[in-house]
Amino acid sequence: MAQTDAAFREGSVEADGFRIRFAEAGQGMPLVHLHGAGGMRLTPGHDLLSRHCRVIAFEMPGFGQSPENIRTETISDLAATMAAAVSALGIDKFNLMGTSFGGKVALWLAIQEHQRVQALVLEAPAAIRPPGMQPPSGSPEEVARRLYAHPERLSPLPVADPVVETKTRSLVSRLRGPDRDADLEARMRGVATPTLVLFGTRDSVIPPDMGHIYKELMPNCHLVFVYDAGHAISTDRPEAFTEVTVDFLERHEAFVINRTETVIHP
Amino acid sequence: MKVSYFETGRYVSPPDLPREWPVPPGAYHPETGVKAYHDMVERAKFVEQLGFDWVSVSEHHYSPRILTPSPVVSAAYLAARVDTIKIALLGPIVPTSNPIRVAEELAMLDTLAPGRIVVGMLRGTTNEYLSYDLNPKESRERTDEGMELILKAWTEPQPFGWQGRHFQYRTVSIWPRPQRQPHPTTYALGTSAEAGDFAARHRIGLGVSYGTFELMAKSTRHYRDQCSRYGWQPDPDDIIYRANMILGETDDAAENALQRRDKQAAFPVGPGLRDALLKADNSRNIAGERRPANVGGVLPISFCGGPDRVVEQIRRCREEIGAGVLDLSLQDPGTGEVGAMMDALDLFGRKVLPRIREI
Repeated sequence: MAQTDAAFREGSVEADGFRIRFAEAGQGMPLVHLHGAGGMRLTPGHDLLSRHCRVIAFEMPGFGQSPENIRTETISDLAATMAAAVSALGIDKFNLMGTSFGGKVALWLAIQEHQRVQALVLEAPAAIRPPGMQPPSGSPEEVARRLYAHPERLSPLPVADPVVETKTRSLVSRLRGPDRDADLEARMRGVATPTLVLFGTRDSVIPPDMGHIYKELMPNCHLVFVYDAGHAISTDRPEAFTEVTVDFLERHEAFVINRTETVIHP
Repeated sequence: MKVSYFETGRYVSPPDLPREWPVPPGAYHPETGVKAYHDMVERAKFVEQLGFDWVSVSEHHYSPRILTPSPVVSAAYLAARVDTIKIALLGPIVPTSNPIRVAEELAMLDTLAPGRIVVGMLRGTTNEYLSYDLNPKESRERTDEGMELILKAWTEPQPFGWQGRHFQYRTVSIWPRPQRQPHPTTYALGTSAEAGDFAARHRIGLGVSYGTFELMAKSTRHYRDQCSRYGWQPDPDDIIYRANMILGETDDAAENALQRRDKQAAFPVGPGLRDALLKADNSRNIAGERRPANVGGVLPISFCGGPDRVVEQIRRCREEIGAGVLDLSLQDPGTGEVGAMMDALDLFGRKVLPRIREI
């Protein structure tokens, strides 16, 4: 956890036989965040979001500091575990955000718990992938070039712990599923939850032209391109990411109506 | 080699017109304006007969030098009055425009005149940012973002939102889409490293203008290097070179015309404003090398001579710059020498054009 100056407090919760770590900041409507295949990484986007809502960023079992997870068999099982973790915090209704791999977990969670998830935000989701796409790997520099539009503007990524990397890679390759998951896509057609799909125009992990497929499948889906952001939108353009996310969480489909006043002088 | 004629809507100014930019609109003569546009159509028909490949139009403001504030209006009017020649909009000034409007209007044009519209997207001339109250410091970023949004608006199959730095839309979903898929032949216009990078990344052409062969070659080399980085190589048709030409029956006749040429801009920006604009627009470059902005100064002549010498110069231009499309002004815009220009066009069509096809 790094790259944020908000007061995120750490906690953990027992759910589904796992001890699940989380970071939390902010007040109001809960926004549950599920991270990407690289594990939980707090970004300036979390920081900005926590000024508007209660952000709870989970570390899913098997990632980061948690013990190796050999029990979860499918990504929908992982979604059920995460729903249990939210319940264990005493939260009934919540907004849900998933990043990349976490976007696919979030989709399953929204399918399973459609009465609880009020709105869904998918940041560069990896639920629909071009054939053969692989998550970023290699040196910190190589990973940064895949994740960010402008890695030179950011502080370097830390060198990954090889133990964490090995256990994460085997977990992700077991759970990530096929590039096009017919079962998931059939279920997405029934997701009425207001959904915002965000893609950076310079995403070099998942091509941004995957975005329109979500819109074609899901009945209440909005697609927004974040200009000059890479795969890690909330790091590359945190203010732009937060503005559209918060507006969508507040207003759902009405977020398309501009409320900005343009009077120059009264 | 393809050849384009740069049509500027020549307004033949009376000699007492104030020589300054902006030119006071009270000095405008409506009948002279009507004649300028009437002749614009006649010239487009003429160059079509001569065998030119394109007629190009541009966007310029607040002066009679190039009387075309809206390239879309020019192109639509011309497209309905010529038959085969392509109409190149070189181009809409992106940073002062609403990119969605540009995308819609160009898609409409491409559908009205299928297969005959060519698009160049331009950052523009610094003094003309005053026309739409653009901060010159923002012009680079607004151009890049606007160009990307135009391409996206043409190609995305579903309604989308755009969370930009300078543009924000929650709903983009244009009709009609371009007739040509994914979009009309499109160029980024500019000599800068940024223009070359953008064109390479989006697999579109590059249009450079007015610099020496040596300088323009730097710019197109940078573009080709970037294209390699993105895994493709442009054709000569992907590179436009816009330039002025003075063509005479003989080398001497052309040299004489060059000597007589006004060494000052037709409607120069005053010195105080010019300095302030140069200071404000300080990111101009050729392939990364810093250059001062153009604030309406006099533009060089790149080709000068009789037909033989000009053919040789065009051959050298092709070798050095790699351009497959020449976009030419014959005699300077703004000089009012329309007769001389028509003679030069005729001469070009007879004595130069047939000999440069194989270059």
